Amino acid sequence: MDQNADASFDPSKNYDEDTLAQQREIEKEIAASQAMVSQLHTFDEIVEEYSQEDAIYRQKIEDLKSRFKNLRKTRGDGNCFYRAFGFAYLEKLLNDGKEYKRFLDIAQKSKDELIGLGFPQFTLEDFHDTFMDVVKMVENPGTVDGLFQAFNDAGLSDYFVVYLRLLVSGHLQQNADSYVYFIDGERSVKEFCSQEVEPMGKESDHIHIVSLTKALQIAICVEYMDREGEKCNSFKFNPFESLADDTDTAPAFTLLYRPGHYDILYPL
Amino acid sequence: MAATRRLQKELGDLLSEDSALKKSFRDIIVDESNILLWRGLIVPHMPPYNKGAFKIEISFPAEYPFKPPKVIFKTKIYHPNIDEKGQVCLPIINPENWKPATKTDQVVNSLLALINDPEPEHPLRGDLAEEYTKDRKKFLRNAEEFTKKFSEKRPAD
Repeated sequence: MDQNADASFDPSKNYDEDTLAQQREIEKEIAASQAMVSQLHTFDEIVEEYSQEDAIYRQKIEDLKSRFKNLRKTRGDGNCFYRAFGFAYLEKLLNDGKEYKRFLDIAQKSKDELIGLGFPQFTLEDFHDTFMDVVKMVENPGTVDGLFQAFNDAGLSDYFVVYLRLLVSGHLQQNADSYVYFIDGERSVKEFCSQEVEPMGKESDHIHIVSLTKALQIAICVEYMDREGEKCNSFKFNPFESLADDTDTAPAFTLLYRPGHYDILYPL
Repeated sequence: MAATRRLQKELGDLLSEDSALKKSFRDIIVDESNILLWRGLIVPHMPPYNKGAFKIEISFPAEYPFKPPKVIFKTKIYHPNIDEKGQVCLPIINPENWKPATKTDQVVNSLLALINDPEPEHPLRGDLAEEYTKDRKKFLRNAEEFTKKFSEKRPAD
């Protein structure tokens, strides 16, 4: 550090630019070191991320190992929940033609619903088109490898993430009355969507997961791995709970949550 | 590049006869070799800025639409929210809150709204914000004079 450059404030300097530049550097580092969606990992590889002294996490990895075969990582760029959700779900659809048809229908219809909510038609269509292109890869070429390539192509993967974010925003706004009390700060649901849902890189919380599973009518399971207890806590997000008819609610896939991050789990 | 595809569509829209902005954002020039840089003329319709027009540049990052565009004034303007370098603080393109679904015409609209209705609470020029708040008449007089002196000629129609 330059000796003269101590913590004195220079009013002629634009500190925002510095902060942004630094942020870009961090983003670049993350992008260079982490794939948007990784190949499969075993838990023996994952356990090495934790030091020998970290007994709690090591024990929890053992717990996961007794129930799951593999883990697929996602990039820690604030979009991990959406990317994990998208990849895991489309991967499941590769082997479930009936569910694929149902989803295709919901996905098609969602465009007009979102436009109806006031999203700009022009950009919404742009995102929707690419989103549908990725969804249709389930049919053609219909391989895990095809999805893997697509989810690691920023031009497709990030478009897909944006559209999932718009779906969450749309669901929250359509059901604002049910969500307004779960929002931090004195913010309306619309403001919350504008600040915490629609911008890229904004991390997802419980409320985002609830919204996405409800918007798309997909049940999922999340294994929470924190420092509490001896095993991971498994939590099911079931959008059908409140409905009278008891639809099949087996979770479509399972995600692993480690504080601040989501990855995909593959059962034994 | 995803940015190119989208920008070509957006540009086509702005250049079309039906563009709602055709009177207030015009003379749009985009070099074929670089779709990431747009130049255009802002033509405000409210005093004190309706005595002239203002050149702006909108530059888009390669990561557009995942990162926001930047707007710079190339013509001097007497305005609390635009500094001497032409930088403008526009919340809609703040990198923190940028939404990829935001369209460039919304950005231009928001810019026009800011020009017509300054926000002295978030100034880039503290001196002008103070004048605007404390002595509106003086501010309007100065701004009009400044506009006549330094701004671009307004298109005839």
